[in-house]
Amino acid sequence: MRRILLACGVSVLIYTVLFAFVLDRPLSLGALRARIEAGLARGAAIEGPKLVILAGSNGPYSHRCETIEPILGRPCINAGIAVGIGLDYLFARWKKLLHPGDIVYMPLEEAQYVRSRATAELGPDAAILLRHDRATLWSMPLHRRIAALFASDLRGGIMSLIEMALVRGGFRDPREAATGSFNARGDHVGHTRLLGSISQAALAAARPFHPSASELRNGYGASLVREFLDWANGQGIGVVGGLPTGFVDSPIDEDAVAAIRSIYRDGGAAFLELPGRSRYPRSAFFDTPDHLNEAAQISHSVAVGRALRQMAAEPAGPGGEASGVVARPDTPALTAPGLSGGLSATPMRLRAARGGPDKPGHDD
Amino acid sequence: MLFHSPIFILGFLPICFAGFFALGHVAGATGALIWLTAASLVFYGWWNPAFLPLLISSVLVNHTIAGKIRHSEQPRTWMAAGVALNLAVLAWFKYADFLLHIVVSASPPLGITLPLGISFFTFQQIMMLVDTARAATSSPVMDRSPVSWPGLTRPSTTCGVCSGKVVDGRTKSGHDAMGTMGTAAAGASIVHAFLPYAAFVTFFPHLIAGPIVRGAEIIPQLTAPDFARPRDKNLAEGLLIFLLGLGKKCVLADMFGSFADTGFGAAARGIDLTFFEAWYATLSYALQIYFDFSGYSDMAIGLARMLNVRFPLNFDSPYQATNISDFWRRWHITLGAFLRDYLYIPLGGSRVGRLRQAANLMATMLLAGLWHGAGWNFVVWGGLHGLFLVIHREYRRLLPPLPAMAGQALTLAAVILAWVPFRAASLSATLIVFRGLFGLSGVALPQMIVAAFPPLSAFAEPVAVMPSLGDARTLSFPEVSACLLLGWFIVLALPNIHHMTERSRHLVLTASFALSAQAVFFAPHVAPFLYFRF
Repeated sequence: MRRILLACGVSVLIYTVLFAFVLDRPLSLGALRARIEAGLARGAAIEGPKLVILAGSNGPYSHRCETIEPILGRPCINAGIAVGIGLDYLFARWKKLLHPGDIVYMPLEEAQYVRSRATAELGPDAAILLRHDRATLWSMPLHRRIAALFASDLRGGIMSLIEMALVRGGFRDPREAATGSFNARGDHVGHTRLLGSISQAALAAARPFHPSASELRNGYGASLVREFLDWANGQGIGVVGGLPTGFVDSPIDEDAVAAIRSIYRDGGAAFLELPGRSRYPRSAFFDTPDHLNEAAQISHSVAVGRALRQMAAEPAGPGGEASGVVARPDTPALTAPGLSGGLSATPMRLRAARGGPDKPGHDD
Repeated sequence: MLFHSPIFILGFLPICFAGFFALGHVAGATGALIWLTAASLVFYGWWNPAFLPLLISSVLVNHTIAGKIRHSEQPRTWMAAGVALNLAVLAWFKYADFLLHIVVSASPPLGITLPLGISFFTFQQIMMLVDTARAATSSPVMDRSPVSWPGLTRPSTTCGVCSGKVVDGRTKSGHDAMGTMGTAAAGASIVHAFLPYAAFVTFFPHLIAGPIVRGAEIIPQLTAPDFARPRDKNLAEGLLIFLLGLGKKCVLADMFGSFADTGFGAAARGIDLTFFEAWYATLSYALQIYFDFSGYSDMAIGLARMLNVRFPLNFDSPYQATNISDFWRRWHITLGAFLRDYLYIPLGGSRVGRLRQAANLMATMLLAGLWHGAGWNFVVWGGLHGLFLVIHREYRRLLPPLPAMAGQALTLAAVILAWVPFRAASLSATLIVFRGLFGLSGVALPQMIVAAFPPLSAFAEPVAVMPSLGDARTLSFPEVSACLLLGWFIVLALPNIHHMTERSRHLVLTASFALSAQAVFFAPHVAPFLYFRF
């Protein structure tokens, strides 16, 4: 029995040492980490009010700071990374760099609201935290630290060996040639319609999953967003919720949209709903149902930038309440107390007429 | 309750073991047996208490019928009635929808929930009734013809019951190579008392998914005077086997299961699979089902061992088999023994003409397929194995045996291909996977692989990602490739845990324990055992 206990103890020790200090995934997680750090570095370098886009990969693929920045007239960082990156990790890193007057736009993917805590804590950021960012890990709750310690499985170990060997062998990641690259603002660029043509068959067959309103409302991600909104309200930081891009033939239910909207509104944030609710034809997408191709990305970003500018420019309703501005039934009110920092001192509203799908490439 | 769930490992198991040994100390073996039976019923009822009355009724009725068999002047009549009753209950819960759909294809499903483990506890009680009747009528011991399917001799196999080496198909203590006993011995050992019988049938380590054990093997162990005395050696050995089985299930089976699910899931949705997608899904499933079921069996063997009960071996490196008969002596050994002793041999076994033998083999394997589930895909799987066995028998009669390596490769290919209908959601999905396996839906490889190795573009179309392979990410192809290499190395080149030295077992535990703990306590999704649905 003693030998069994010894074997178990040694096993845990070897596992910890391997995953915390030896094994690494420089290609997959390394690329994510590089983007997280690059975004944070840019955020730290900006002194005035800024716009930060927080989302999954829908952020960099379907939104373009390069386009939004001149429309809004403030520097923009596209800090969306991947749907699997924990929101608590992103919030923990960005909280240190957000200041009164900053705006955070959050067109989160639906999956980010509904992922369970267990799933969220075993996302790719867990391995990043354990291997490269133990300072942030140490600042997080105990359960998160323990989960990060036990986040890696056999697949992770095997992938580490593969990636480390590939990098050591001088393997050049060909993904840039295949899918494009990221610019200094964190936008994905170069994911043209032509490069995306290889994925059109898969996109045509894709069936996006939409969680229910109840799942969205009660999801672990939703609770993290609420905590972040509380913090942002206290700091004078403006938060604007939004909808992720998706297929026009696979809309998000009315109830589900209302659930997402209420997460932000109830937390004192604004909510941006474009005409067509960010739904586009499948032909406007690049390789997944969350990633617009470059032309559609630019067009969508123009629409988002103008909407954000309009929110900032329009005065609030009578009285200029900090929240609760009433809109016509077909024009959801958007209150954004935190937007007061740099653009407007009062809540703003955006008239967003409900209509058909947005037209990528069309720019008014 | 799943063996690999935290509630079982941290809750049920410590309480069950503590109560068992404490009561054994205070109230003797009978008290411990009562506790064990009660704990087993809690274990069973945890999933769905509604089926507890079914299990309890089954035990009561079968024990009553066994008594009738022993005391009646027409034991065979009682046995036939008992077997028919058991099969009727099984048919209702497992096959009613299937049969109804055959008769009236447009009929709506009856929506009957399959009680957990019904196939296993029903078969065990059928064995009990038949053995009792055989003993009562003093009929000859089971067919010992040297050519009866699937053969009785194996070179050197540890018998889980006695831990002795098998010599000429029989261990020193009288068990045959299948870990079973002859009918006469079985009949002589049957205990009349209700409590040991109930404890045997409901014994939680085998209740849900086997191994399919005979009362004659287990009841004498349950009624041994020092049954409930803790034994360090058994506790240590059992715990070690349990933890190694846990690793097989949680670390290996579930990993390969996720790969298999992607490919077979796509096929179920009517999406064509390219060559590598189809092969990777199929190879992954072959590993998943082996690691899953043999892992479960090891956990069951380990749990029983900790409670001073020895179970027979259920898997013996089946993918190392050199022919299809050999495979069936290594795969789900206790089911193979059941089919041989209670179906194939009563049908005439190998004592009849060649054509009849072939028909018996086909019938046995078709029913083996149906035992796994009420669906045509299982029938096809059973039919394929029946066909393989018939072909092998005829080949062996006419031609010299293949070299071992060639025989193993051919057997492996046949077994792997037969898993396709077994796993696929429907016959149309089966065809999609087969089309992919034969390259009829094209050959695709990730663009990054083709860019790195340009000669591959001669036969493979470059794609951004392979949507039905792994997680459909850029690096999924090398990831799944490496995992498959590891998995197939383990099953083809390494001994199974029952043939390992003590030192090797501890090394494997050192390599796997932390990963098992990660999977049990931190992985967000716990996959149930595949055989729970059979």
